[in-house]
Amino acid sequence: MRELRAEALVIGGGAAGTYAALCLHRQGVAPLVISKGLVGKSGASIFAGNLVISGRVLGNTEENARDTAEFLIKYHNQFLIDQEYAKRCGQWIAEVYYPELEEAGLYLRRDDAGNVVTSPGRLRSVAANVQGNSGVPFMDLRRKQLIRAGIPMLEEVVVTALLQAESGEVCGVLALDIASGEIFCVRAKAVVLATGYADRLHRRSTGTREMSADGIALGWRAGAELVNLEMQWWHTNDVRYPANWQRMQVYPNPMLGSWKSARNVNAKGEVFFDQQEDDPLAFGPYTVQLKRLVKQVREGKARYDGDYYSGFDHVDPAEVDAYTTYAKLFKQLGLDVGRDLVETAVSAHYRQGGLLVDPATMASTVPGLFVAGGVGGHSNGLIALVTYDGKVAADSVAQHVRDRPYASLPPHKAEEEAKRLQGLLKPGATPPVRVKKMIRELMWNDMGVEKNEAGMRRALEGLQEIRAAVLPAMGVTNLTKIMNHGWLDAIDAVNMVEACELMVHSALNRTESRGPFIRTDYPEMDNESWLAQNILVPTADGGFRFEKRPYATPYFQPEFVRKDNLAVQW
Amino acid sequence: MVSLDARRIGQLENRDTLEAKLGALREGDMIKAQVRRFSPGEQPYYETFEVPYQKWMRVLDVLIYISEELDSDLSYRWYCGSKMCGTCALRVNGREILACWAAAEPEMTIEPLRNLPVIRDLTVDRRPYEKRFLELEPWIHRDEPYPGFPEPLTHREMRFTSKALDCISCAACYSACPVVGLGDLTRFCGPAPLVQLGQAALDPRDSRERSQELIEQASIFSCVSCYRCEEVCPASIPIVSKVIEPLKALAYRTARKKPRHPQTFLGIIRRRGRIDPSELVLRVQGLRALARLRWAVSLLIRRKVNPWATVFGRPIPGIASVRRLFRTFLRTS
Amino acid sequence: MKLAYYPGCSAQSTCKELNVSTQLVASKLGLELHEYRSATCTGSREIRAVQPELFLALNTRILAMAERDGLPLMTICNTCTLNFLDVIQMLAEDKEALARVNASLAEEGLRYEGRAVVKHFLWVLLEDIGEERLRGMVKRPLAGLDVGAFYGCHITRPPGHYGFFDSRNNQALEKLNAILGARSIDYSGRTECCGFHTAAHEEAVAIKLVGKHLKNARDNGVAAIVTPCPLCHTVLDAYQPDMERDTQTRLGLPIIHLPQLVGLALGLTPEELQMDKHVVPLDLATRRKVIPIAAA
Ligand SMILES: Cc1cc2nc3c(=O)[nH]c(=O)nc-3n(C[C@H](O)[C@H](O)[C@H](O)COP(=O)(O)OP(=O)(O)OC[C@H]3O[C@@H](n4cnc5c(N)ncnc54)[C@H](O)[C@@H]3O)c2cc1C
Ligand code: SF4
Ligand code: SF4
Ligand code: FES
Repeated sequence: MRELRAEALVIGGGAAGTYAALCLHRQGVAPLVISKGLVGKSGASIFAGNLVISGRVLGNTEENARDTAEFLIKYHNQFLIDQEYAKRCGQWIAEVYYPELEEAGLYLRRDDAGNVVTSPGRLRSVAANVQGNSGVPFMDLRRKQLIRAGIPMLEEVVVTALLQAESGEVCGVLALDIASGEIFCVRAKAVVLATGYADRLHRRSTGTREMSADGIALGWRAGAELVNLEMQWWHTNDVRYPANWQRMQVYPNPMLGSWKSARNVNAKGEVFFDQQEDDPLAFGPYTVQLKRLVKQVREGKARYDGDYYSGFDHVDPAEVDAYTTYAKLFKQLGLDVGRDLVETAVSAHYRQGGLLVDPATMASTVPGLFVAGGVGGHSNGLIALVTYDGKVAADSVAQHVRDRPYASLPPHKAEEEAKRLQGLLKPGATPPVRVKKMIRELMWNDMGVEKNEAGMRRALEGLQEIRAAVLPAMGVTNLTKIMNHGWLDAIDAVNMVEACELMVHSALNRTESRGPFIRTDYPEMDNESWLAQNILVPTADGGFRFEKRPYATPYFQPEFVRKDNLAVQW
Repeated sequence: MVSLDARRIGQLENRDTLEAKLGALREGDMIKAQVRRFSPGEQPYYETFEVPYQKWMRVLDVLIYISEELDSDLSYRWYCGSKMCGTCALRVNGREILACWAAAEPEMTIEPLRNLPVIRDLTVDRRPYEKRFLELEPWIHRDEPYPGFPEPLTHREMRFTSKALDCISCAACYSACPVVGLGDLTRFCGPAPLVQLGQAALDPRDSRERSQELIEQASIFSCVSCYRCEEVCPASIPIVSKVIEPLKALAYRTARKKPRHPQTFLGIIRRRGRIDPSELVLRVQGLRALARLRWAVSLLIRRKVNPWATVFGRPIPGIASVRRLFRTFLRTS
Repeated sequence: MKLAYYPGCSAQSTCKELNVSTQLVASKLGLELHEYRSATCTGSREIRAVQPELFLALNTRILAMAERDGLPLMTICNTCTLNFLDVIQMLAEDKEALARVNASLAEEGLRYEGRAVVKHFLWVLLEDIGEERLRGMVKRPLAGLDVGAFYGCHITRPPGHYGFFDSRNNQALEKLNAILGARSIDYSGRTECCGFHTAAHEEAVAIKLVGKHLKNARDNGVAAIVTPCPLCHTVLDAYQPDMERDTQTRLGLPIIHLPQLVGLALGLTPEELQMDKHVVPLDLATRRKVIPIAAA
């Protein structure tokens, strides 16, 4: 088996991973980036539609700045965030992030007079070139920055395991090159896990194709503690058809240069949500919108899988077209959301939870393993936040690797993992892609928007059944090693089962409802018991136990102790 | 009064409109998808799949259906499913499309992109294409220090760059470009690399001298202006008029040694108001044209070329106004 | 019907026969052509690319003449047609540029308001003469003549002007062939590029681009090719010997200008239409199918 070396290994080619690599490079540490998808073309980062302004830049008032912080902590994280971390992020974004991006060439959309175009309102945002597509030039820039810096990138290469020295310290990884089928290992002094959110675990989901909760599975197997895994967010506005629709969204966020935003209409034709009018602070209005939808569903005026509508039928199409891509998204299908309403449904959006990290250092609970971006459980990312994570992780890694020798890779572990992978490249009864589909159906049915204990127990049983009966019989139809997506799907399926089980356990343990986490058997938000980290700690016997650690609330506090979650405004 | 639009004859008959395409399928109809299969070391072949149409189905949904229900082994690349990553470009019935963007059709022959090596089935190796544009250093180079956020910049100045920035680097145009298809016959880098370069070179903040890059490395004057690239671009970028031509203008303006062809052309028009192609060829190719003597003679016999007119031809009437337009509108630096 | 007529440079130099045959056929069709002798080149692709302001000015001047006379402007070259269409659009989008050009045109008493209509001869035939009248005027149906259409690019792309999702679906020439009694043969090159615009400095490109399609046309039984563009004609005809060498096939495909094909059907002789000016001559079999019945 080939063995590569890298002082610091970054897993993931999204906003967090690429920025971590750039920062490491600047500090004289040689990074290697391994990415399951193409760097800058995979992961949630390309989806970033707009870029939120924080602090006092671009004409933001003190009040705007405060509103942004409030949005982030309350609406976007439901108080499950270290507020000091949020504050540091905000400062960095205002002082470093925007200037640095612009200097590197990012085009923040101007008007003909040269003003940076923003969305109006209490929280303001800008766009890279065009709203709806900001992540594309943003990540393209990152890709080119890495190439220009000569940072090596191994793309369409999947990391399947973290390798640990006797001491438990992470000292490398095992990886599979999808195009060639080569299995190899990388020795590294430190590893930054930046694999993004655990997306695509439901029938309908945002996120890119390759997402399968790898980071959570990898971290867990290496003994990392996980936090708030149950905190799943939802997109309320995705086009309904076909059932496997890949995230064609009718953006609900405020538009650049306009006071209007997309609205939702139920089956009876009643408008039930219009962001700028209903709640100007609910900038990325996922939770507020979702709660409104839950009410429609309960009144029989919508379903989670359709029968309600979204669009800009109340807006001048020219206003939608001026700075956004929104109306153009579905043109080839004859759909014009800039003019009409289209039928929409819910998709699973990103997951707030992930590996437990110290947000001051981005260190996980496993030595040698650092975390950046969506895979961490410390915040519900935005592209700016995950970029900041990349910087913090790089700072810590630079410290960590200084004068540290390479630990030797335990040879048998790499061989064992390689064997496991080879074992998945075998003929079998059920194609791996079908297994993934089974998992997604199961999660959709019993781990959907509204949950309860009985359903979640069913989900667990289903997952255990898949683990016991389906996985062993899973097999590919072609034994080639070249671009064998079947093989990759098999690797994914194993990770998905593992991660989904942990999510269900976590969800069962959080006995409250909070924002987008809606339990019918515990409908109240409970700030007394659950304004807290819901931590999964692996135990020596291969099982786990839970720990709970309250969050401090130095700057923003919830206005109540307990309240019906659906009645909570944010 | 004209009921017939002669520019579009064939469009309705061939169901070339969006309405016709979308109206061709109803829920439950069977789509016939002929997919080109290929594995290294084996002969390529076509395999036919029947896929039930679902509402608003795209080509990507057809492929997903095939791999989930019919043949899990089909290799095709995609990441975002929403026209952002640019990795799902394919050819359907001989035309480049984006799988996650184009509506499914009743009968489809689905093939990988051209002008790139195929890894397996529909998955191509993008690296040769990327290599082409990375050589052109498609990022801005600043001579002046960055003035601080936000820097002075207007959308008007960025109007071409902004179009180029819509590029998702899907390489559909790279596959469609006939000159790229000629391989090493020219050094032409192709449309997508020019769009990538345009993202930087047309940005007023870029201070790098690009004429050498454009003329030599990219061989921009090898573009035949066929608009194949524009026809297939899923991002609707006016590639020729808003990127390649502004780049040609930039190359021409900044080159110390002006490319001969456009310069000669301008000279002839200024003198005569009208072009004489034989003069153009003679002046551009010089002695090289005379080397093709047999050809020249055959044209002479048929009076295709007229050396008399070439040498003594008179300017058009009204040449004075033409020269005035030259004085007013010719940009010299 | 009276039309402003813009022959363009090729039809007045390398393809004089195109100008001659257009005028002949137009008078047969009852079209009165008003030619602008002081019109310049439209800038082809060269001025257009490297001197966009000048390009705009030169073309606005011509459009202003047609607008002044209240006549649709008829073109017989793809590239000229597209240049005019683009300029019309650019001026509509950029009022400041229009004002600048008008300020200069004022010196020769011209002013453009944005009302010019540009029509390629092909469109005039189909829209203004119309299928029925044209069919009625056919004296010598081109029965038995297997024609391959070569559209070239600028009469069918970019999609912004013509609206084709797939420009291969254009059928205008096939429709015309049918009216004239000829049979249209499908082959790979119908809407491909002739490579003219780089031929002055890289003729090998044009030879490679087109040779394979002409070979395919020959293989599919095409006897003659019709094209609405003199630039395509120049490449397909004058470089055909090179293509024969390059593809190592005998092609011998006569390339016919659009008005020449119409003229044949209207009963004009190949000589009247100056088809002897072409590099590739009409072969005997084809000639028999196209010369006026009386003469045959
Ligand atoms: C639909 C959507 C819309 C959004 N809109 C906005 C917005 O408008 N504004 C905003 O600020 N934020 C937005 N976000 C959030 C933002 O995009 C994310 O917070 C951020 O992109 C996360 O970045 P990341 O680098 O952590 O992960 P990602 O960008 O997801 O990158 C993860 C990378 O890891 C790789 N990877 C995964 N598993 C492995 C493995 N096993 N081995 C190797 N590599 C692996 C992947 O291929 C990918 O390259 C949106 C997110 C989504 C999903
Ligand atoms: S216009 Fe130029 S770049 Fe575009 S396809 Fe034609 S030759 Fe290629
Ligand atoms: S220019 Fe258009 S077709 Fe070409 S790579 Fe970019 S998006 Fe794709
Ligand atoms: S899958 Fe990303 S562009 Fe089609």
